[in-house]
Amino acid sequence: MKKFHFLFIALMVFASASFVGCNKDEETGPTTEKISLHLHSMVGTDEAAYGITYHDGSGRQFNLSDFRYYLSNFVLIKESGEEVPLSGVVLLASPAAHQYELGEVPSGSYKGFRFLVGLDSATNHTDPTIYPADNPLSIQSPGIHWDWNSGYIFMKIEGYVDTTLNADGSPDFEYFYHVGMDELKRTIDFSTSAFEVKSGADAELALEFDLLKALSNVEMRTENETHTFNNMPLAEKIADNWQSAFSVMPE
Amino acid sequence: MVKRFLFVAVLGTVLIQQWACKKEDADPGDAVMELSIPVGFPYPNIPSDNLPTQNRIDLGKMLFFDPILSRDSTVACGSCHLPEHKMTDVLALSTGIDSQKTIRNAMTILNVAYQPYLFWDGGVPTLEQQVLAPISNPHEMDYDVNLVVERLKKHAVYPDMFQKAYDQEPTVYSFTRAIACYERTLFTGKSRYDRFLYDKDSSALTPSELNGKSIFFGERGECFHCHGEYNFTDYSFRNNGLYEIYTDSGRARITLDPHDNGKFKVPSLRNVALTPPYMHDGSIATLEAVVEHYNSGGKANPNKSGLIKPLGLTESEKKDLVNFLKALTDE
Repeated sequence: MKKFHFLFIALMVFASASFVGCNKDEETGPTTEKISLHLHSMVGTDEAAYGITYHDGSGRQFNLSDFRYYLSNFVLIKESGEEVPLSGVVLLASPAAHQYELGEVPSGSYKGFRFLVGLDSATNHTDPTIYPADNPLSIQSPGIHWDWNSGYIFMKIEGYVDTTLNADGSPDFEYFYHVGMDELKRTIDFSTSAFEVKSGADAELALEFDLLKALSNVEMRTENETHTFNNMPLAEKIADNWQSAFSVMPE
Repeated sequence: MVKRFLFVAVLGTVLIQQWACKKEDADPGDAVMELSIPVGFPYPNIPSDNLPTQNRIDLGKMLFFDPILSRDSTVACGSCHLPEHKMTDVLALSTGIDSQKTIRNAMTILNVAYQPYLFWDGGVPTLEQQVLAPISNPHEMDYDVNLVVERLKKHAVYPDMFQKAYDQEPTVYSFTRAIACYERTLFTGKSRYDRFLYDKDSSALTPSELNGKSIFFGERGECFHCHGEYNFTDYSFRNNGLYEIYTDSGRARITLDPHDNGKFKVPSLRNVALTPPYMHDGSIATLEAVVEHYNSGGKANPNKSGLIKPLGLTESEKKDLVNFLKALTDE
């Protein structure tokens, strides 16, 4: 009797396992695939890096000592118009890192995507001490949280710039562009940049962010400091340049 | 077979008993406590991950008065929030690291458990998060909370205290919670006015103070609209006509809304006689001068509260109002 029971159960398990297997083989529906962001932070045609001397649009020398920015709320738009939000994914981009995990999405054809530079209001005002140290929102990410207003710096650009009138000196004046606060988050729209998530393969969005374009109408000689609240027009100018500073990298 | 079963059963019972005993021997400092609240006050909201225990309060108190939080170990929370001055420093602006001046007057932190947001501009939503700001502020402690944690880990007694209080090593999470937990135990609410109100002791206030009370709560003064209820504040942001042009934008620094320019959080008036000077920048030295300011209706400002207008108080009414404010001092 006991033996019979065992055999019966084993058979059942085997049968259901093969049934599931069959199902998978026959289905032609979407699979779930990993997707990541491949991102290059650029200064014109050069890769952004700390300690290198660059020239702004007017030929003025400057360098970078800190350049980081938050990207979040990625939404992928299927061919059908259905939106696939990548909820909870926040990344802190920096020049040295090029690959960022975005999560998993259904395979298929997508007609475009969008995301935020910065954070949604709820995330922006969370307590930064509750996150594990390896989370980009954790207090362990140094100098990217404003403690006095409980919000994150969406984009931090710091370094030294030549402030001589004729741009014939050297980069020795410290500049700060700290852009944040709810009002300055910006949706970056690539809703017509189609891409494919193929079954059985990891997918990738490939983007470039050009700092020179983000600072295109900024006169670095005179406009060299904003912590947003103390120089809103300058912070807003930079935020309004973000869309044009991003471009999809050719495959 | 039966023997074996019995053996297992007995062993199990012994283990359960031991476990139960261990439970009974648990550290009493780890038990969640009920805070002792002044009469007439509601029980404050406390975050569920930071309920008060004696271990947490003791740890928070030690951290609060320890300059270990500042870059050069010279400035503690308690350097500007002094118990002998009702948790203020009775200075117009506080003195931070390297003898620097802060940009605003240090508010009392008594009854801070009721504050729906912190600072004069309300920029921070929780007491736990508030702890971060003075540490990173270059005029106050000028340090990095992650380096604070490194110091705490190497300290002779803190690691053990953190383990007992929060069941973890020192982290930014646990040390901000400990300080907030201590701060939530700081209450004030036993003044002569409270004796008058709750103990029905009609002799607690003098005739002059009673007249001041009528002005405060009535149409002569209209003070209670903003300075009402048990903590003598409605926590709103108001421009009280202190300046025509403000160098400190106040609430607008957080909202970026020009209509909030020069608005600051209404402070509590408990112990107000003991916590001069007054206003967000400590620019008014005495209670008499504060009453004079409100009696004048303040300076012209597009954001000024509609309640700030000339009051036309007589000299004796002004004196009575000041006397009433002095009756808000804890006995």
